[in-house]
Amino acid sequence: MGDGTVFTPDIGFVRSLKNSGADTMKQCYQCATCSTVCELTPSDNPFPRKEMIMAQWGLKDELVADPDIWLCHNCNDCSKYCPRGARPGDVLSVLRKAVIAENAFPRFMGTIVGNTKLLLVALMIPVVLFLCVLNASGHLNIPDGEVVFRKFFPIQLVDSIFVSTAMAVVFVFAISVGKFWRKLNVNPYKLMAHSMLLPSLLETLKEIVLHKKFQKCGANLDRTWTHRLVLFGFIGLFITTNWAVFNLYVLKWDSPYVKDDPNILMILGSQAAVMLYYAAFKIFGNVSALVLFIGSLMLFSNRMKDKGVNSVSSSFDWIFATIVFLVCITGLASEMLRFANIAQLAYPVYFVHLVFVFYIIAYLPYSKLAHMVYRTTAIVYAKMANRDVM
Amino acid sequence: MGLGVYICTDCGIGESLNIEALQKIGGKMGNCKTHPFLCSKEGVDLIKSDINSEGVNKIVIAACSQRVNTDNFDFDPLLYVTERVNLREHVVWMQPPNDPKTQAMAEDYLNMGVVRASKSEPPVPKTTDVTRVVLVIGGGVTGLTAALEVEKAGYKAVVVEKSAALGGWAKKSYKTYPSRAPYDKLVAPSIDAKVQAVSGSKNITVHLDSAITSVEGEPGMYDVEIDKKGAKETFKAGAVILATGWKPYDANNLVQYGYGRFKNVITNVQMEDLASKGKITRPSDGKTAQSVLFVQCAGQRDENHVPYCSSVCCNVSLKQAKYVREANPDAGAFIIYKDMRATGVYENFYKAMQNDEGIFLAKGEVKGIEEEADASLIVIVDNQLLGKEMRIRADVVVLATGMISSMLPEGKAVNSLTKEYIGDMVVKKTQDGEIEELMPIPHILNLKYRQGPEIPHLKYGFPDSHFVCFPYETRRTGIYAAGAVRQPMDSYQSSVDASGAALKAIQCIELTSQGKAVHPRAGDMSFPEFRLESCTQCRRCTVECPFGVLDEDEKGTPREHPYRCRRCGTCMGACPQRIISFSNYSVDMVSQMLKSMEVPSEGDEPFIIALICENDAYPALDMAGLNRVHLNPNYRFISLRCLGGTNLVWISDALSKGVDGVILMGCKYGDDYQCHFVKGSQVASERLGKVQETLGRLMLESERVTQIQLAINEWDTLPKIMEEFSEKLKGFGPNPYKGF
Repeated sequence: MGDGTVFTPDIGFVRSLKNSGADTMKQCYQCATCSTVCELTPSDNPFPRKEMIMAQWGLKDELVADPDIWLCHNCNDCSKYCPRGARPGDVLSVLRKAVIAENAFPRFMGTIVGNTKLLLVALMIPVVLFLCVLNASGHLNIPDGEVVFRKFFPIQLVDSIFVSTAMAVVFVFAISVGKFWRKLNVNPYKLMAHSMLLPSLLETLKEIVLHKKFQKCGANLDRTWTHRLVLFGFIGLFITTNWAVFNLYVLKWDSPYVKDDPNILMILGSQAAVMLYYAAFKIFGNVSALVLFIGSLMLFSNRMKDKGVNSVSSSFDWIFATIVFLVCITGLASEMLRFANIAQLAYPVYFVHLVFVFYIIAYLPYSKLAHMVYRTTAIVYAKMANRDVM
Repeated sequence: MGLGVYICTDCGIGESLNIEALQKIGGKMGNCKTHPFLCSKEGVDLIKSDINSEGVNKIVIAACSQRVNTDNFDFDPLLYVTERVNLREHVVWMQPPNDPKTQAMAEDYLNMGVVRASKSEPPVPKTTDVTRVVLVIGGGVTGLTAALEVEKAGYKAVVVEKSAALGGWAKKSYKTYPSRAPYDKLVAPSIDAKVQAVSGSKNITVHLDSAITSVEGEPGMYDVEIDKKGAKETFKAGAVILATGWKPYDANNLVQYGYGRFKNVITNVQMEDLASKGKITRPSDGKTAQSVLFVQCAGQRDENHVPYCSSVCCNVSLKQAKYVREANPDAGAFIIYKDMRATGVYENFYKAMQNDEGIFLAKGEVKGIEEEADASLIVIVDNQLLGKEMRIRADVVVLATGMISSMLPEGKAVNSLTKEYIGDMVVKKTQDGEIEELMPIPHILNLKYRQGPEIPHLKYGFPDSHFVCFPYETRRTGIYAAGAVRQPMDSYQSSVDASGAALKAIQCIELTSQGKAVHPRAGDMSFPEFRLESCTQCRRCTVECPFGVLDEDEKGTPREHPYRCRRCGTCMGACPQRIISFSNYSVDMVSQMLKSMEVPSEGDEPFIIALICENDAYPALDMAGLNRVHLNPNYRFISLRCLGGTNLVWISDALSKGVDGVILMGCKYGDDYQCHFVKGSQVASERLGKVQETLGRLMLESERVTQIQLAINEWDTLPKIMEEFSEKLKGFGPNPYKGF
């Protein structure tokens, strides 16, 4: 703006921030208590004080180019000490959502997922898609006999949908992150950020795995464990899925797994080895699901405990927590119902489970979960620009 | 007729002092009694019975401070002289018990108290007829409120308004900001109700299109002459409320903000006009404004324009920003401020306005304004909260120019006024050569006072008064300033101010009718008496009186207006002929008190007289006593109504008696003065400058006499101040007049 751009008020943007959960942001009177209590903010030009005035003034261009909002790990110390009840923690949270929507590709997907009023539309997309696929492949019915999910939704169909979706997600992320990076990489940080990409990335990943930043947030250490469980639950399930793909396409070992499949016996050597391999796979998958389940329960309990004293969760947050919870419930229920062999319930629940899984994977670049990519990117950038305190 | 001395032995007095020795002193002059609990009913009854049966009419109470138990020791001042000797706070609570020095101190104080009582007579009451009418100058919110309050209290008011209609600035406001919860909505001005009430009142006379041409006389009996559309009218008034309000600073001086050059740059006063039309449009082309920028402190808090903060403009701009938002929900309003000053409850209003999505606030500085081809403005703002320079497009720029007191005549700049009286310095040719002299400019009051046609200002043209302790008092008794004329304030504060001033004006009329003083010696019935046959027409009393009590006849002899007097005694201190005295306060009285004390004829410790102000220094000493602070026992305190009453003869009396030094303890003076009589401690310090001559005649060091400024809360500094002065005197050696 110092470059001669003329500033005109963007009341629409201010209004949209207020409507999506930053309703308190105008109450900030710039005392900078928030920046003083924050454990994660750099001492030079610290956040969230400046983000608060930027948000009040509706400076969208500056906000989407600000790596600082991603350095925040939402401990809400700032909101706790804010003398005006302006809740900077929540405001940053809403700003992160705005950045996700701003960098979304294609743009309309950002709108569909970001706008809570369009939640049903977002859910109907996989429902309709799956129904069409099932109908076209002649599977739109409850199969007879023992419950085997592939009889209802052939695994190749599932895989082709999800693998292609996952690839699309990677592609979309590549575009979005590219946009994001270009916005970040402007002055004043541009001059500071040169090379060091790989060491910064490694350092960032190490921090994420060890939850170093989270542990610095004193106000709600509980959330460290919640985040650990959800993160490692997801990672476990991601590994499980790939393991299943490996079983199916590399080992040619079809689910439901036949333990005396001669092909597998030959590869693994002995019956005991097959059993061990099978047990390891099953235990790993189920433990991962349980970890995620406990994590998702804690997401709820943390939010309930706070009761809006320090932080008011936006609907964006609630939707994410609910979907994670529902993915776990429907997944575990599908498994139980399969064991109980209740076909009338097992197949519909499995269908719903797939819808939620699709929601999580396909909408990854637009949902709350997108932070894993944006935040990682921003922290890497911050490290390169010497702006990260760790 | 007799003197009665009553010594209380409670509160440690009995245990610390030799009461029998004190009784001997009291007994010399007449009746002396002790009582173990003098302020009890039995103790007071003892005094009353002496009054009734022994004919006691001068009562010396040797007990506690004169500032306490005033309700118990309350004897009719028109019949009896009551003198308090402070043995408690100033002696036994400060000094070690049963010490010869403590005893000497108590005896000196008792001696002085007895002299003071002997030299006092009850005042002769000087009641008078008064006019129970209050003249209110100015028909704005302050004047109207004052008139209505005067009426409510059962008095009559006359409102003189220079314009053709009542209502003042309040009438020109589109809306006002709220002063009670909820603070989020602007409210319609309530001025119309006041205008109607005043117009419809039997007890309030209104003169529109009128100006004061002369105010003559004194409280209770002013003769007022007005010019009403060219015709003269006269009437009488008992007191005056100056409620002439404010005027906006001339924005034409603010060239840096483009005022006068760019059509779309307006002042906050013009903004009210604009808003009254219902929508905010650009003055250049009448198009609806999408973006309005407010420049706070435009020319304010700036030595080159208005050096002070007008305190209301932040609220006004927040209000006007709301006009912009109410008229057009998509319009933005920017407020660029130095500091947001929404004082008191207005914090709530600020919070509510801040919460509006279209009101953008930032601390910053407007670096410049440029005009585009379509008359839009680009405002270059150093936004200190965002830490960057911004170019903000605005359709309209509103300058928050400040409030100037209406005491300022046309063409006078607030930052370059002459001291005390607003006027011009003119060079006069006299027989002693050319002298530069101040010619005060008559403007509003047109007082026929020797001192000048208007009331003195302290700074920036605001009438001189004490902004915390007695805000409505001016330096002209009976004339009370209220509202924005005396300090920038909004209409709500002005209304509150008006009520206060109205009560002050009524109080003044009533006290005057009873011959009593107003603040700060409210109720005092003594008057200064002049032995004019000895007057040398030196004019010191007329010049030094802070309240303009004394005029002069052609020869320069003072002509008194007794009801303007506040009884500080500054005239008494000023008079080299010692012709001015009160029935219970005189130059001779203090001289005799000085004579009555025992000045030690030898010893290493300097013996010091302290003349102290009864308003600040005396209670400060009481505080020291309450806190059991030990003070140098070689000091003797003599309390004065005001240091302004210090007569230099006392200093020569004291020094020629062998006293080693004299210290004056008075209030702070200067711009932040704390003197209850405005100038008293200052004139005392000026007089001390002339004491050199006296000391030279006595061949003494001038540093033996000094003055310190002491506030009531600075009692803890007393030990150090007193010790330092004592040490300094030690350096000079003992006063050579000792023992003469």
